[in-house]
Amino acid sequence: MPVLAVEGVSRSFGGVAAVNRVSFALEAGHIYGLIGPNGSGKTTLFNCITGLERLDAGRVQFKRERIDGLRPSRVARMGIGRTFQVIRVFPELTALENLLVVTRGARADAERRGREMLEFVKLERLAGEYAGNLSYGQQKLVEFVRVLMTDPALILLDEPAAGVNRTLLNDLLAAVTRLRDEGRTILLVEHDMKVVMGLCETVFVLDHGEKIAEGPPGLIQADERVIEAYFGR
Amino acid sequence: MTLTRGPVLAVLALAVVALCVYPAFGTGYGVRSTLQIFMWIALAGSWNLISGLTGYVSFGHVAFFGIGAYAGAILITAAGWSWPIAALGGGVAACVLALVIGYPCLRLKGPYFAISMLGLNEVLRALVSYFEGLTGGGNGLSLPTLDATRSIYYVMGALAVAVTAVTYLIITSRFGLRLMTIREDEIAAEAMGIDTFRHKLVAFLISALGPGIAGALTARDQGYIEPISVFPLAITVTMIVMVLFGGKGTVWGPVLGAIALFVIQEIVWARYPYVHPLLFGAIIVAVVLAMPRGVLGLLQLKYRLPRTI
Repeated sequence: MPVLAVEGVSRSFGGVAAVNRVSFALEAGHIYGLIGPNGSGKTTLFNCITGLERLDAGRVQFKRERIDGLRPSRVARMGIGRTFQVIRVFPELTALENLLVVTRGARADAERRGREMLEFVKLERLAGEYAGNLSYGQQKLVEFVRVLMTDPALILLDEPAAGVNRTLLNDLLAAVTRLRDEGRTILLVEHDMKVVMGLCETVFVLDHGEKIAEGPPGLIQADERVIEAYFGR
Repeated sequence: MTLTRGPVLAVLALAVVALCVYPAFGTGYGVRSTLQIFMWIALAGSWNLISGLTGYVSFGHVAFFGIGAYAGAILITAAGWSWPIAALGGGVAACVLALVIGYPCLRLKGPYFAISMLGLNEVLRALVSYFEGLTGGGNGLSLPTLDATRSIYYVMGALAVAVTAVTYLIITSRFGLRLMTIREDEIAAEAMGIDTFRHKLVAFLISALGPGIAGALTARDQGYIEPISVFPLAITVTMIVMVLFGGKGTVWGPVLGAIALFVIQEIVWARYPYVHPLLFGAIIVAVVLAMPRGVLGLLQLKYRLPRTI
């Protein structure tokens, strides 16, 4: 039983099919990659899964429940967390407050957990700093641990490696692996092929809104349609 | 850097005591002006709760003041309620209106919400003028004579304190932080599991209560209301300017703005009655240009103070 099943999902904008009859399934406890040239529909697909974009056709099922058509906040509370390609921290809230807003239950517990999370990404000294004053990489980390605060079963990461330095990146990748080991499922959009190849067990390739390949990274790299999509004929 | 709690509380307690004994030896003009300041604190503070925190600018907040005034006046004249109970009735009426209006309009994005609220106020004024049987229409509504200014002074003062205290509680809570995430990035808030619509609606209901009660108290105090006196756009604009001047999204910004602008307004109005709207416009422009965050907002950022200033 897959944790997430995307079935024949389509979404078009003014006659352009951004996502065209895409289907795939994610099994719990694995890391998946979603790749494709710019404009191939990866972010739109993320938006369709998380409820930010309505579907023109198809369905999305999460843990046996149909989630397309639900409000994004509802989808998030069911256990799907995401980060954004362009960072979306809350700039005039402090780093710690950015984490607190997604918590429920006792405040003291939430603060302790929030501080632990900031410690985990080595930002504990900046807990009281406005998120908007942090560097790009630091904001990226805040966004990453903010997702974790919601305790999601499925995590969608939109280009986690972009603009992050090597040391930070290695920490991030180690964290993603650890999340997988905890039984969570991760789907990541990434342009950095080294990251995709090193981390993902299965890769889906999108081109012009259509899924053109699916398989282990080694095979995908040799797939003619994929090479064509990236480099042209 | 935080202010120590002790001295702040002491100053506040002193201010409350002074304001409590003030009517015993203040002039009629002084008491009436202070009562007005209380009203403006309650109105500006309420507007801050929805617009300062969520960024959803309500351009028709006077609608809640007006509906409270009419509900209170009708409950006093037609139903024979005593004015303190009628004032609560005015607050409830405003909340009901907020629910009816907020349910569809808070689904709109910021700018569209602002315009729909502007329309609401005009519609209400027309409706009140139309249903003459209940409201007296354009002739207005007179209340039985009663000199209760001193009692109303205390109730309005309590309302100002209550609105400020509720603001403090909200801003220091996670509920308040979640309201701010709507202002900061509504899409990210939704994606993080925050039900933004429900949060906006709750904030909107709370922000309607104070103006509703203030409207009913004002109706009782003035003894006569008419559509143009309780639904003027100028009241909304004044609330907004007060909050912008003092600092939106802070606890004490609306209080500071209400006091400062009321005093300025009184001085200017007494001396130059005709340039008074002009001066108000100039203040808006100056504030937006020179300190878009208001006095306290500026201090908060510069000296890294908490939002509870």
